[in-house]
Amino acid sequence: MKKSIEFKIKPDWDEIEKVRNESAEFLQSHELSDDTIHSLSMIISELIENGIKYGNFKVVANKVAVVINIDHNTVTIEVFNPVDESAFSHLSRLDRTIQWIRGYQDPFEAYVERIKEVSKKPLQDTESGIGLVRIAYEGKALLDFFVNDNNMLNVSVVSNLEGNDRK
Amino acid sequence: MINQQPPRFNAHLLQGQARIPIEAQYASRFSLLIRFFNGFPSDQGAEFNKIVFQQNGDKVEMGPCQYIVEPHHQNFQGRLVFKQAVYDLNSLFFKNKIDKLQTEFSNLPLILAHKTKIKKEFKEFIANLTYDLNVYKNIFDTLDARYADEPELIKQKVQQAVIETEGRKFMRFMDQKLEEFERTIINYSKKEHERHGYYLRKQLWHFLMCSPFMARTNLKPRGYSGDSVMMKMLYDNQYEGHSTFAKLMHKHPNEHPAAQAVRNRRKLVAKMLGELKFGRQKASGRKIRVLSVACGPAFELQDVLTSAHDCTGIQFTLLDQDKSALSEAASLIAMIEKKFNTKIEVEFLNESVRTMLTTPKLDKMWGQFDYIYSMGLFDYLTPPVARAVIEKLYQILNKGGEMVVGNFHISNASRYYMEYWLDWVLYYRTEQEFIDLLKNVPTAESRVLFEDTGSQMFLHVTKSES
Ligand SMILES: Nc1ncnc2c1ncn2[C@@H]1O[C@H](COP(=O)(O)OP(=O)(O)OP(=O)(O)O)[C@@H](O)[C@H]1O
Ligand SMILES: C[S@@+](CC[C@H](N)C(=O)[O-])C[C@H]1O[C@@H](n2cnc3c(N)ncnc32)[C@H](O)[C@@H]1O
Ligand SMILES: [Mg+2]
Repeated sequence: MKKSIEFKIKPDWDEIEKVRNESAEFLQSHELSDDTIHSLSMIISELIENGIKYGNFKVVANKVAVVINIDHNTVTIEVFNPVDESAFSHLSRLDRTIQWIRGYQDPFEAYVERIKEVSKKPLQDTESGIGLVRIAYEGKALLDFFVNDNNMLNVSVVSNLEGNDRK
Repeated sequence: MINQQPPRFNAHLLQGQARIPIEAQYASRFSLLIRFFNGFPSDQGAEFNKIVFQQNGDKVEMGPCQYIVEPHHQNFQGRLVFKQAVYDLNSLFFKNKIDKLQTEFSNLPLILAHKTKIKKEFKEFIANLTYDLNVYKNIFDTLDARYADEPELIKQKVQQAVIETEGRKFMRFMDQKLEEFERTIINYSKKEHERHGYYLRKQLWHFLMCSPFMARTNLKPRGYSGDSVMMKMLYDNQYEGHSTFAKLMHKHPNEHPAAQAVRNRRKLVAKMLGELKFGRQKASGRKIRVLSVACGPAFELQDVLTSAHDCTGIQFTLLDQDKSALSEAASLIAMIEKKFNTKIEVEFLNESVRTMLTTPKLDKMWGQFDYIYSMGLFDYLTPPVARAVIEKLYQILNKGGEMVVGNFHISNASRYYMEYWLDWVLYYRTEQEFIDLLKNVPTAESRVLFEDTGSQMFLHVTKSES
């Protein structure tokens, strides 16, 4: 059984579905339960969506990369995308958001706070900003990120498998 | 926001079929000052269906609202307040969002439902604990009231006597309750811990808010756990709070093993820096370059720099994501400089370790270091990030240089107390997981040591000379 699987995709919404399907097969081969596969797939989609939305694809060769690894009882999903200076304000927002979410023992608190924020109707901007909170709350996963010297952003989740996460 | 000119604009009020033109101005978070253009005779308490105006190009309608006459105002005739939905005008005018007070209730069904799936034995434990805490609090409050009129010094002495007798007994009661609590939850799954923690905090909220320490760890005013104010409380380990009960609730978590471990690590860092200073200084003529990553208020420096001579041999670089922490560290350094009438060479870097790695050629900009230490940071980094950060730090270490990184051990005896009561979650590691962070750093010599409580470990790395 393979321990990890990798994808490199163009920044194209249609690619997300392909990665979802293939990664679900990989997760199935590790005998994860349907619920677990469902939440991990949601995480994969949210992270790739963000990669496409906030990444730097001015250079045509730039791609979004996804690495899924299962080691003992830990699933790690890493999504990479190149960033440029224009993403820096997003990166500090990402930093604040992740620390804020992880500041709650129960991600439910971040979830209800976020929903409340969203229900305050903004007059203009339409960002929902709920993706990362969903990952923490519905996906039972720990988010984190870093940017390396090559301006490659790595957003990751680590999820520990418990008894009922397997078939 | 406060210094800004209050927004002033034209609007109209709807009353039945009538459309009444007015001029309005933001007056307070929940009221507008208004003036009727056509001398419209409005009485105290007059009601309107809504107020309509343009805000940054969008049409805004809010109501119903009511008129309150303000006869002495120079430019306006009175105020408008909302009668049902109470709109937050700060949010509207300064954040461009339509928000009303009642939004707080929007998640009510979700929150009320969150108590389902709480186990019976846990509910019972919390019910008993709440009863006991209320009894204790009432008695301590009653005592406080009995000596409230004494002169300040006498009050202090009396309170001290109460703390040292019945107060200490209460602390033992808390210890016993925590043991019972741990026995109850020990086999819970991650999700169950999260839910039961939420339930505990909702039920004990008022007790938690008494304690300055627990209030801060729960409210996290700077958006993250472990800010410099929490660190100061941990290092001070005093009875803080507005009542005897509050002081006890503050002191209890500060005496727990994890808190002691933080105080132990400060001594350990100071000792290591002290030894390094003398060993290396002889070998090379230049100053030793030391980097503290996630330095916080850098309290350990007052333990290391205890004479003018100590201040001369080291060049410090202090890195933290939080400007306030850095400015507290700067004040501490200024105080030490003043005390020994000397200069300390120090550089402050306001960076997050998560994004610092973008800095092209970090080593070119920051240079290489002889000693790098990072306490209270890796407890927040998951393996992919912890690995990237430790590799980067290793790169900017001089040959023969040393690096010490702290991380709470999985066996931290305060873990569930912290998670449930303080809402303070760490990323715990085993020794092996800690060492594995160095997997891609083949030349490292490394070992793991523990401080006395055994809650916290330190990964010590020496970079080989070759
Ligand atoms: N890959 C990324 N690169 C740079 N910034 C990011 C990335 N992912 C998230 N962020 C930042 O973090 C914020 C929160 O992300 P999140 O996914 O929660 O919300 P969103 O993408 O704005 O909205 P939604 O996911 O609900 O459509 C983003 O608005 C963005 O500023
Ligand atoms: C628990 S305190 C430890 C402070 C100090 N090292 C000590 O032991 O007293 C954690 C500090 O880490 C800082 N910190 C947390 N995440 C960080 C990050 N990603 N980059 C830089 N600093 C960070 C916080 O701002 C805070 O000052
Ligand atoms: Mg998103």
